[in-house]
Amino acid sequence: MFVARSIAADHKDLIHDVSYDFHGRRMATCSSDQSVKVWDKSDDGEWHCTASWKTHSGSVWRVTWAHPEFGQVLASCSFDRTAAVWEEIVGESNDKQRGLSHWIKRTTLVDSRTSVTDVKFAPKHMGLMLATCSADGVVRIYEAPDVMNLSQWSLQHEISCKLSCSCISWNPSSSRAHPPMFAVGSDDNVTYTGKVQIFEYNENTRKYAKAETLMTVTDPVHDVAFAPNLGRSFHVLAIATKDVRIFKLVPLRRETATTSGPTKFEVQVMAQFDNHNSQVWRVSWNITSTLLASSGDDGCVRLWKANYMDNWKCTGILRGDGTPVNGTSGQPGAASATGTSGTLVSQAAVAGAVSAGRAKAQLMPG
Amino acid sequence: MEKMTRVSTVLGSASVGGKTMFCHLDAPANAISVCRDAAQVVVAGRNIFKIYALEEEGFTERLNLRVGRKPSLNFSCADVMWHQVDENLLATAATNGAVVTWNLGRPCRNKQEQLFTEHKRTVNKVCFHPTEVHMLLSGSQDGFMKCFDLRKKESVSTFSGQSESVRDVQFSMKDYFTFAASFENGNVQLWDIRRPDRYERMFTAHTGPVFCCDWHPDDRGWLATGGRDKMVKVWDMSTNRAKEVYCVQTIASVARVKWRPERKHHLATCSMMVDHNIYVWDVRRPYIPFATFEEHKDVTTGIVWRHQHDPQVLLSGSKDSTLYQHAFKDASRPVDRANPEGLCFGLLGDLAFAAKESLVAGGAEAGRKPGYPGGDRRYPIFFFKKPDVTEQFAQVASVLSVFEALGGGGGGVCGIGGGVAGGVAAGSRMDWFVETARLYLLSGKPFAELCDHNAKVAKQLNRPQVSTTWTMLRIMFSEPAHLSSSANHNMGKLGTLPLLNSFNMKDLSSGLNERNKESRQDNIHSLETNINNNDVDNEETEGSEGQAEYVFGDAELDDDDLYSMEHDNQTEEPEYTLPQEAFPLRHEIMEQPSAPEPPEKAESPHVSGSEAESACLTPSESVSLISVSQLLFPPHLPPAFFGPVVKEMLAHYAEQGDVQMAVSVLIVLGERIRKEIDDLTQEHWYTSYIDLLQRFELWNVSNEVIKLSTCAAIGCLNQTSTTLHINCSNCKRPMNNRGWICDRCHQCASVCAVCHHVVRGLFVWCQGCGHGGHLEHMRSWLRDNTHCPTGCGHLCEYT
Repeated sequence: MFVARSIAADHKDLIHDVSYDFHGRRMATCSSDQSVKVWDKSDDGEWHCTASWKTHSGSVWRVTWAHPEFGQVLASCSFDRTAAVWEEIVGESNDKQRGLSHWIKRTTLVDSRTSVTDVKFAPKHMGLMLATCSADGVVRIYEAPDVMNLSQWSLQHEISCKLSCSCISWNPSSSRAHPPMFAVGSDDNVTYTGKVQIFEYNENTRKYAKAETLMTVTDPVHDVAFAPNLGRSFHVLAIATKDVRIFKLVPLRRETATTSGPTKFEVQVMAQFDNHNSQVWRVSWNITSTLLASSGDDGCVRLWKANYMDNWKCTGILRGDGTPVNGTSGQPGAASATGTSGTLVSQAAVAGAVSAGRAKAQLMPG
Repeated sequence: MEKMTRVSTVLGSASVGGKTMFCHLDAPANAISVCRDAAQVVVAGRNIFKIYALEEEGFTERLNLRVGRKPSLNFSCADVMWHQVDENLLATAATNGAVVTWNLGRPCRNKQEQLFTEHKRTVNKVCFHPTEVHMLLSGSQDGFMKCFDLRKKESVSTFSGQSESVRDVQFSMKDYFTFAASFENGNVQLWDIRRPDRYERMFTAHTGPVFCCDWHPDDRGWLATGGRDKMVKVWDMSTNRAKEVYCVQTIASVARVKWRPERKHHLATCSMMVDHNIYVWDVRRPYIPFATFEEHKDVTTGIVWRHQHDPQVLLSGSKDSTLYQHAFKDASRPVDRANPEGLCFGLLGDLAFAAKESLVAGGAEAGRKPGYPGGDRRYPIFFFKKPDVTEQFAQVASVLSVFEALGGGGGGVCGIGGGVAGGVAAGSRMDWFVETARLYLLSGKPFAELCDHNAKVAKQLNRPQVSTTWTMLRIMFSEPAHLSSSANHNMGKLGTLPLLNSFNMKDLSSGLNERNKESRQDNIHSLETNINNNDVDNEETEGSEGQAEYVFGDAELDDDDLYSMEHDNQTEEPEYTLPQEAFPLRHEIMEQPSAPEPPEKAESPHVSGSEAESACLTPSESVSLISVSQLLFPPHLPPAFFGPVVKEMLAHYAEQGDVQMAVSVLIVLGERIRKEIDDLTQEHWYTSYIDLLQRFELWNVSNEVIKLSTCAAIGCLNQTSTTLHINCSNCKRPMNNRGWICDRCHQCASVCAVCHHVVRGLFVWCQGCGHGGHLEHMRSWLRDNTHCPTGCGHLCEYT
């Protein structure tokens, strides 16, 4: 059973991302109101906002935590074409007593010429690295050579994906058999091509090269997520597009060790669900990668689990306001809330539905 | 509707509308302006001054105003404005300080009419009075504003801002005598045209230069200003003090701002540097642009709405030497691409979810009225198309909630009671992992005991399949000859019962089953002390028929059916097995089809519990015990025989996401299995498991795993970048040599200050004086005393 605990986020606009830290005790949210908030879980299970600060001069699309080995470090990326790295300062200030903490900007990564749509720290074993992707289709990989100095980041790789990028995910595998790898998704809705590309690091050329394009995913992709690897020999990738898809990438053994070139993969579609009946915005794996959560324009979170036959099935639906889905959802509180602003809500819902394409946008008189 | 009709009358039939189109200019543009009927546009720049006609299919050059072989600096335009009443009249501001007016009605090629050279520096802005034909205003870098009467040769009045350079001047749309001026020092001044001596009002609008301002076209007294501080602010000037009503934060310094016609809250901006896009904002939602035009490749220098009553077409000129007409329907809408939801799984199976309020609320409505899935398409789209849509504005916000997984792995019963969702939650909650990691024994006892212990732990945590695996491992790898009697008996019980239950061998004769049950009945009391609970076993056996049906009968059974079946069959709860968990065991059976089966022993009922307990079992008896329970292999097979099976099983666990099991088995089996699995895989499992343990802050377990691992790469994890600097507690000097004897004072450095014995294990010391000793001793000493036990006089603190 899940119990919904509603949090008064007090963001002034849409929240675009939520991110738990490594230990699951802290949470960061980012919003179009250009701010990031950090939430700490108290012993009684309540979430308290311990920091809220303006991070960018545009919508903040994503926020992500670094491995705690590098300190309490956050990275954010924004419509203002920058990504930023933040570190919490531990000091003996009054803020601490009031339950507030102080975050300072360690660096701003300004290489992108367009909106930076995603930022992700690389798996810990690769050192302190992060990848950004931007709307002009460039993935940039930065590294902090000195992990003690978070203000020094060098741009290591610039990889062109040709398509406007919307999301990126590192393969978390720590195996030496798996070279560093990431998947990048595109929300391009003009071209009819594979929207998820997988890049792999080549030890010989010291460059990232495209290993695979998932040609079957042709609709705009909003999120990609590699499952925690946990000792598997293959990789599992979840994709949020107009439906939820789960791919299995099995690296094929190379015949000879000398073959340079990227690893070949056997790509299998493990599952494909259109239960959301709308655009799917987010996918997230649990820590053992046995459970996948997805959320879509229907305002629901759906949980997916595989049985022993590797058949994936929906095992739960959670509504954003915590009401049960199949039960009697007509709670009086929710009803009155929607009743007062009925037309407004419907109006905005149409705006949300328009996101699918431009054709409908024309109908908006705006 | 009133407005719509007005628009259509003003615009006529053919003049509005228009598609996105562009034309190349010869040179970068600095400013553009349209004539009143929206049919022509003038482009002015340092090296360009041309008039283009706006036609259906594109721009057509009409007139080049740059005439003469060597154009004077008067042609180098910083700004241009087309008169909104007299369509033959234009004014330009030159970079050399000249203000020039042009009359298109002049018959000769040179259309220049008047030249005012009163400003000493660049003129940044010229502005015609909206209704008065002959009144022109200019604002210059030299800090002065001048008002010209075009019927006279000189300016009629000069306004001194007493501030820095003037960046923009704008006549009020509604108030005949008022104009606003913006300055480089961040101020905005309001002037009455009749009073050149001093401004009417001044306020600081921005930090840094205010590059532009624009009066709202409706009579609201709203003034929008844009500055280098990247902000657009909307001021209400109707009150005594200028009040900031809206503030839009853009991503670059704001060069131009223009209210959108017919849309009360919309305005367009472009930037001075870095950003080439044109944004249209709804000032009520100041964070995400309402629409974006992304066509320009360089800085956009001039924007103007094509017609003062047409909100759909925008013209722009740019440093990239292009002139664009943007149709609003082709604009990109960042809001639509913005992600309305955030979702993240927490460590303990919690799920944080943030979603746009309307999505959640809309979904709830749909839930109540299942006839309309989607919730938002219930009404035809035209239902929303009301005359003034901008007045309807829903405040956009997100709801944030955390779904906390309830019910632990231990509370399997209540988890199942909750139906499907309950089953999921029980699976999503990660308590079982933490408990398992804590309770497992990985070393320090004989192999068989480790397996027993771990099997018990797994059983308690309601993971019977894992428990069975441990038991089987024990059977596989134990050497029966070396086992003690009780352990042997345990082995028999633990090994056989789960086998019976989960395998339900098809060839298991019912007679055997009966006999087995009977023999167990005898033993119930005598076996109470065994690790396994006999009652449970008994029930399991009785329930085994029902279970056999779904484990073997139909793999395609629905989850729901599974759950409901279990729900009915209460006795089976402890044996509750997720379908997938039956998989590896089943698989193993298939691995052993040729295993010799000694039927004569299975039929011989000579093993009873009492016998087993009373007498020390010989190897042969143990064999028979195993054979009764349908073990498929003789116990004398070498452990290596099972290597491939176990290897496959571990890989299966790892692939199912239970790397904990893989690593635990790997450690417990040690040499028995290690050679079977390649180092890379082992290392991968170890690193994955250690990473998980560290996530759960199980540092002790993590260190134990690191210590017990045999991979070189893992073992050294604990040694990297760890340096201990030790000072001798007697002489306070650094200890250089290895070991714990100080080479200066020749005393052992780690002597307990209380009992004066050498401390092994935990050594606690005062950070102040450096004295300390056994944890327990120090604790008890400092409970009663405050001074250091050595008598050094330091007031030690123990927290």
